[in-house]
Amino acid sequence: MEPDGAPTSSVGQTCDVGELIKQGAEARVYSTTFMGRPTIVKERFKKKYRHPTLDKKLTHRRTTREVTAILRCRKSGICTPTVYFVDYESHRIYMENIENSTTVRDYIASEQKETQETNPETLVSLAQKIGTLLATMHDNDVIHGDLTTSNMLLRQPVDSSSPVVLIDFGLSSVSGLHEDKGVDLYVLERAFLSTHPNTENIFEHILVTYRKKSKKSSDVLKKLDEVRMRGRKRSMIG
Amino acid sequence: MASQSYELELFPNCKVTLALFDGVENCQDLKRCIMEGKVDAALLNVSMIIEPFQVLVSANKAFHVQQHGKMKTRNINSEILFNLSPTNNISESFKRFGVSNEDKSLLAVVLNDSNGEKLQRLTEQVEGTRIDMNQLKDFTDEAKIKKVYKIQDTELTNSTLLDAVICRMATKDAS
Repeated sequence: MEPDGAPTSSVGQTCDVGELIKQGAEARVYSTTFMGRPTIVKERFKKKYRHPTLDKKLTHRRTTREVTAILRCRKSGICTPTVYFVDYESHRIYMENIENSTTVRDYIASEQKETQETNPETLVSLAQKIGTLLATMHDNDVIHGDLTTSNMLLRQPVDSSSPVVLIDFGLSSVSGLHEDKGVDLYVLERAFLSTHPNTENIFEHILVTYRKKSKKSSDVLKKLDEVRMRGRKRSMIG
Repeated sequence: MASQSYELELFPNCKVTLALFDGVENCQDLKRCIMEGKVDAALLNVSMIIEPFQVLVSANKAFHVQQHGKMKTRNINSEILFNLSPTNNISESFKRFGVSNEDKSLLAVVLNDSNGEKLQRLTEQVEGTRIDMNQLKDFTDEAKIKKVYKIQDTELTNSTLLDAVICRMATKDAS
């Protein structure tokens, strides 16, 4: 057991939890097996700079929020990793490791490269899948909190029927507010457009599908417009 | 195989043995014996079990909470029953996942039976025949499982029934 939040192992090293594959600001991600199944262990470590009681409470809350969001999304038909076990003592979530998959981020890059187009048909259909997924998620009042194309996976081989798998619900919450949903979409928009050049059209397809499939889309999209107006170097007039 | 033993990665010294019984005539007696503490095993309603993995996930959690002194039920065997349930109602979990008086089959879960003695003793207590674990799927009642775990077909378009069940078991304590 790690004594405090300081990382004592580096990426690639194996310890008793498994092999460390990612170190984030809030959690470490390990790869291991659980009853023979390839598994990811997400461990939220202690923050020494916080008061211990507060730290315990916050970490517990974040852990429960994450698994609640996963289950809620699953119930509405969204593909997510299966949660196998939650260790509330050491704040570890053991969940399915989606193997043989590619991130949507890598997929977009490879499709654009292969077809030498910015809007290949495959990406338009991917955009529709994403739009549908987001509409379903928001209609169930789940805010992902960290929507990026790295948090969306596609199981290989990728074809027209492959569903998008949504991962990393570490910042998620439950909210019915249009504002929160609008911000959720804005986060994706910024991540999308900055990661993938010349994909304004693809992202537009996502929003068009979202508008069609979500029951409360017009209010949310209105909020999205408002949120776009905010931020650095943006005029709040008009 | 007549019985199957598993080791849990997170609890390397703990062994879980599963054995399937059919043609059982004395479920009512067995239930009474459990209440009286004479049965050192968890006796499960087979129709609610899809695959051994489901039981192992439950056992894993049971070992974990036992280690931390946080069991919700009396002993680790009843804790296994409780962990299978999608709700936190203990008596409901016993009723739904434990054997009933009229049952003719059961799935036994024996813990830490290093030399096979516990299973041997249990086999003597059960008036029925031990059958191959491969036949487990013949007893699974998917419709009942969907009903008890409240699984809609929407969820099953992109997930197996087993994953839907496991996820509910694992996330029961949250929210």
